[in-house]
Amino acid sequence: MRIVIVGGGIAAVYLANNLKKQDSALEVVILSEEKYRPYDRIHLCRLVDGAEDKEGISLVLDPRVKLELNQKINTIDKQNKKVFSDTSMFSYDKLIIATGSVPVSLFSVEGIKNAAVFRNADDCVKIKEGVGRSEFVIVGSGPIGLELLETLNEMPDVQKITLLLRGSHLYNVNLSIDAIKTIEKCYTKSGKIRISYGDEIVDKSIENGEIKLLKTKKLEIENPFVVFGVGIKPNIETFRESLACGKGILTNLFMQSEDEDIYAVGECAEIKDLGFVAGHVKECTLEADCAISHILGKETKEFKLEATIDMLKVGEFDLVDVSSPVFNSEYEKIVIASKKEKRIDEYFISDDKLSRFIGINSNVDVGYIETLINKGEDVDINYLYQNRLIGERGRLICSCEHMYHQDLVDIVKQSGIGSFLELSDFSEAGRVCGRCKMMVSNIIQDSQDLIDPDMPRKSAEDIKREKEIAEVAKRIDKFNLLHPRNELSTDNLESAMASLDIGKHEVNSWISMVTASMQLHPSFEQVVEGAVCNLNKVPIVWLELADCSGNSEAFIKSTNPAIEELIFDYISLDYHELLMSASGDQSENILEDIIKNQKGEYILIVEGAVPLAMDGKYLRIGPQGETGIELLKKCAKDAALVLAVGSCALDGGVVAAAPNPTGAVGVSEALGREDIINIPGCPTNPINIVGTLLSYIMFEELPALDKLNRPLWAYEGRVHDNCERRGHYELGEFVQEWGDAGAKKGYCLFEMGCKGPYANVNCPTMKFNSGTSWPVQAGHGCMGCTEVGFFDKFANERKYVEEQES
Amino acid sequence: MANKRVIIDPITRIEGHLRIEVEVDENNVIQNAFSSATLWRGLETIVKNRDPRDAGFLLQRICGVCTYSHYKAGIEAVEDALGITPPLNAQLVRSLMNQALFMHDHCVHFYHLHGLDWVDVVSALSADPAKASKEAFKYTKYPVATGENDLKLAQERVKTFVEKGQLGPFANAYWGHETFKLTPEQNLIALSHYLKALEIQRTAAQLLAIFGGKQPHPQSLSVGGVTCIMDLLDPSRMGEFLTKYKEVANFLEHAYIADVKMAGAAYATEPSVTAQAGTMNFMAHDLIQLNKKEFLFSSGIILDGDLSKVHPINENLITEEATHSWYSDNEPLHPYEGKTNPEYTGFKDRMTINGHSKEELSKSLDETAKYSWIKSPRYDGKVMEVGPLASMLVSYACGNEKIKKIIDEFLAETGLPTAALFTTLGRTAARALQTKAIIDNGMETFNTLIENLKVDQETCAPYLIDNEREYTGRFIGDVPRGTLSHWVRIKEGVIQNYQVVVPSTWNAGPMDAKGQHGPYESNLIGLKVKDISKPLEIIRVVHSFDPCIACAVHVMDLKGNELGTYKVDPVYGSSC
Repeated sequence: MRIVIVGGGIAAVYLANNLKKQDSALEVVILSEEKYRPYDRIHLCRLVDGAEDKEGISLVLDPRVKLELNQKINTIDKQNKKVFSDTSMFSYDKLIIATGSVPVSLFSVEGIKNAAVFRNADDCVKIKEGVGRSEFVIVGSGPIGLELLETLNEMPDVQKITLLLRGSHLYNVNLSIDAIKTIEKCYTKSGKIRISYGDEIVDKSIENGEIKLLKTKKLEIENPFVVFGVGIKPNIETFRESLACGKGILTNLFMQSEDEDIYAVGECAEIKDLGFVAGHVKECTLEADCAISHILGKETKEFKLEATIDMLKVGEFDLVDVSSPVFNSEYEKIVIASKKEKRIDEYFISDDKLSRFIGINSNVDVGYIETLINKGEDVDINYLYQNRLIGERGRLICSCEHMYHQDLVDIVKQSGIGSFLELSDFSEAGRVCGRCKMMVSNIIQDSQDLIDPDMPRKSAEDIKREKEIAEVAKRIDKFNLLHPRNELSTDNLESAMASLDIGKHEVNSWISMVTASMQLHPSFEQVVEGAVCNLNKVPIVWLELADCSGNSEAFIKSTNPAIEELIFDYISLDYHELLMSASGDQSENILEDIIKNQKGEYILIVEGAVPLAMDGKYLRIGPQGETGIELLKKCAKDAALVLAVGSCALDGGVVAAAPNPTGAVGVSEALGREDIINIPGCPTNPINIVGTLLSYIMFEELPALDKLNRPLWAYEGRVHDNCERRGHYELGEFVQEWGDAGAKKGYCLFEMGCKGPYANVNCPTMKFNSGTSWPVQAGHGCMGCTEVGFFDKFANERKYVEEQES
Repeated sequence: MANKRVIIDPITRIEGHLRIEVEVDENNVIQNAFSSATLWRGLETIVKNRDPRDAGFLLQRICGVCTYSHYKAGIEAVEDALGITPPLNAQLVRSLMNQALFMHDHCVHFYHLHGLDWVDVVSALSADPAKASKEAFKYTKYPVATGENDLKLAQERVKTFVEKGQLGPFANAYWGHETFKLTPEQNLIALSHYLKALEIQRTAAQLLAIFGGKQPHPQSLSVGGVTCIMDLLDPSRMGEFLTKYKEVANFLEHAYIADVKMAGAAYATEPSVTAQAGTMNFMAHDLIQLNKKEFLFSSGIILDGDLSKVHPINENLITEEATHSWYSDNEPLHPYEGKTNPEYTGFKDRMTINGHSKEELSKSLDETAKYSWIKSPRYDGKVMEVGPLASMLVSYACGNEKIKKIIDEFLAETGLPTAALFTTLGRTAARALQTKAIIDNGMETFNTLIENLKVDQETCAPYLIDNEREYTGRFIGDVPRGTLSHWVRIKEGVIQNYQVVVPSTWNAGPMDAKGQHGPYESNLIGLKVKDISKPLEIIRVVHSFDPCIACAVHVMDLKGNELGTYKVDPVYGSSC
């Protein structure tokens, strides 16, 4: 497939590199109208002050991508899938338009020596030549304008700069007066800069392509150099004729235009349903990901609006701006300001939700703010206030990766890296939008002397894991603040363990076992223990439907009953028909109470199949004769998480085996939901239930699941691959008859109908009854009880293939 | 005269899937009782048309507690039909696994499910450990976990539970009930054993898993024999079994059996547990193979409590009928001919009084029509009680020396008359005595196996299934909760009909066409409950039958007010 990308900026390069990365067979062509190789516009200022040349800011492009420069596209032939420039014709299978935007200027700067926009490398050359004129006039105070202002301010040859502003604000109209004053002070301190608010150009006299005099409402400036930083607009004029356009080229959520073979990505695209035009690098790359996934036909992802982060660092102040995509002017604002520290935190709140945050010299954790905005949680001002000073990580350096100054220093200290290049194993800081690359690089250099040559160096993996553990610990801390749901607290869990004669070492070894079985690194043990201690904070409802109680039974009695039984008591098993201690009348009330008052907080565990025939009346529960399905629906509706435990809950199990007389189905099918976590097995190894509960407490989000929605950590391995008899399989040594010579030697049971090759679960390593045995060890072979329809397919002693043939 | 309603807090940690409705008169005497199962899973239907070799795996899923019982029964019914005799090694291993199941099941039942009906935990907290430690020697020469320090520690431990939490097993609402008869010291002894049993039962479960691969739902039996040949040939594995067996047996002998003797003496005069049983007919079947020919427990029937005569079982006289069961064919049928066609008529709406003394419309059993998924099994038209009591009585009446000795000793030591056996107390004691008989004699099975393995390593018999032939076969034998039978008819190489008659069907079944109540119902009728808000007496009776855990018993008043949770698995759940 040949993919042609029109454009020469970050979006085009990102698209090309990632297309190649995901499918090296693709032919990818970039058509750029510029005469330079693609470069990073974010660092244009560095061309102005001469810190870098064009090579220095050029973007890394996969060498297998074909790059055509000086190709300004002016026609698309959609029918024949061709594009034309003045000189050439290119045919495509898929076309991606990533032409970005063009700057807006109040008058045309074409042919005028001392006026420029600020968008590309040639503009920089022009601006640089303007140094030496008596005065720079920058029109507009958006982020680009302010950055240029700072750059010029730092250049010794620049004598005087006027910032011309139509309104009475800097940076953004929503900023408070105090904040504007703070920023203003930073700029005006040097005496070079004057800011003229409420002002605009009213007249100019041009001679020989040169502005001699510029008249504004308030000022007259001779021999100025004017730079427009007033805004940008999508660069789509060429395409207006051939494609439907609004502000930009209109696309769907996969960035596909009205023509199915043409996509538009980045600042030139407008997502029709959202009315959205990207303005940040991160948004552009997200759009690119959506387009790539759609073009390659992989698991497609729709574009979703997320909070954006802007940062501005100018000498003495830095500014962070986190904004919700739905932010609008209908807000209330809370400002927490400290004059002494020149710190201002502005919280914009609409409907109790945070819609924007602008911090000046702020110490607030931006990552947290971003999550808060994205999740739309109610704002707890107390929390924000208390956390305004969490500044020990220093200033935010990389807004894309939420990397603070101290984080980078720590990485350098712990890993001993010496360059920006080596950082990539540890963090993407400086690499996502590239804006902070230089700062990151400088920090790495400046921290070199902090490296202790004798200290063992941590690998990228170690550091990542430590971070993960810290996250989990934070989440567990939150649980620690909650009241336990039963009266047994962490303190008396210990005494209770003592009363059952469970020693600390036994608990520790149990924790190690659980940690290992969850495929977590041993360093997680401490947080696993923390999670265990918080198991009593999450209300749990355990429903038994058409079942044999084998899973409850296994849970209580199998692996390490002394501990697990205690855990079973310790978890807030608020409702379990067989095991709870509350009274009958109360039991109904407890269930009602949890369902009504703990919405979205309780975990529902379901054991057993759901009979649907005869209107579900093969199973009736409670004084009102509620059917199993009615009860299940009622309980599942507002559960935070639904776990289907055992094979019957997966797909009806034995109860649904042919001819399925009660019309039994699994929980997921009965509810018509795809977000049910299945923990099948007949019975399920209890450790897998405990592990799933712990992983909910530790990670909140669902564990990684396979296509049957089973947690990967328990169900990823194939029984056959981890089997103790696997060696015999490889050697072709099979049991041929029960009790034959091979059986005595422990040969492979495949010929006797072992279904290990078709079953995925951790039985071979976990075994049952404290590791006493498992079916293969007992010479019988696996029956694939964790798989769909196992009773009709696998629960026998015949080879599966033979079965199919007969 | 209005019947009083009885409210029972849920019977926690019981093994059962039953609804029981009770009607109580003004003197708190139960006038009528109905037992119902309210879940039907249809495993007998599902197993039809399948390869008979697969039956065991499927029927095992009848119950997660009695899993081994149904597994073995499903395999052996098919072996019977096909005329297969498994090799002696296989027979003995199956027997050893069965012993492990009994040891686990009876121990867990007594301490963790039934024990707290007899033992007052709160009273134990005020006991004098020194005195209790001496007391323990009255019931055994070698007491377990009853040294003065052990007992002090047990007291300390349990205080934690009682003071701080609702920790599961100790959350019983009946502390201080006047029918508790043990002294504080005796209570303390039993309590210490309760804690120890938590640990022992884990070992007992491993015992079964050594040969079974896992527990619940072991997986090492196959039609023709067993698959665990490697374990059998591994001396260290056999040693592991032996060591664990002895560890568990030691506890059972010196704690469980001793405690039952202690309770037997203490409760000898308590009317609510010494009234004559509601059903005086008992049936039991061979159990626990000791060697090539001999079984530990005997087979037969006792009628009207007459121990002077044991009638042989004529399997042709076993029938099941469904007058009050949710199936369409009412008439009594032999299991080979049995039909399992559901005809669900549901509940009857009636006004009941709920737990807050208010009237409300509830779904109640309609005892005038069908009211349970359990059928009513009868022997020659008669109701039979099955279970450890029946097994011990039949063996006793047969003059089985091994059993006779144990029962006579028990009666002598507790000073109880023979009539005391036919009671709730007797039923609970019989379970302990059955356990004692097993651990006293079970090593014979193990030793026979070891000896036999030296000369014979066969574990599975070869066989052929002739698709042209029709086969019928059955398993009938005792399991922890009584006599279990599986009946299979095989035609054209697949199962044509399959019927399961489980112990709890015999015991918990509804009335038959003649209005004869099953044992659960008949043993509750006439029972006087001292304090209707604390119906401990009812719970003791129900628990003494050891209802299966796949079932939660609910007790209801006549008007249908539900007093606890219920959920019932009929044949398929109220298993052994």
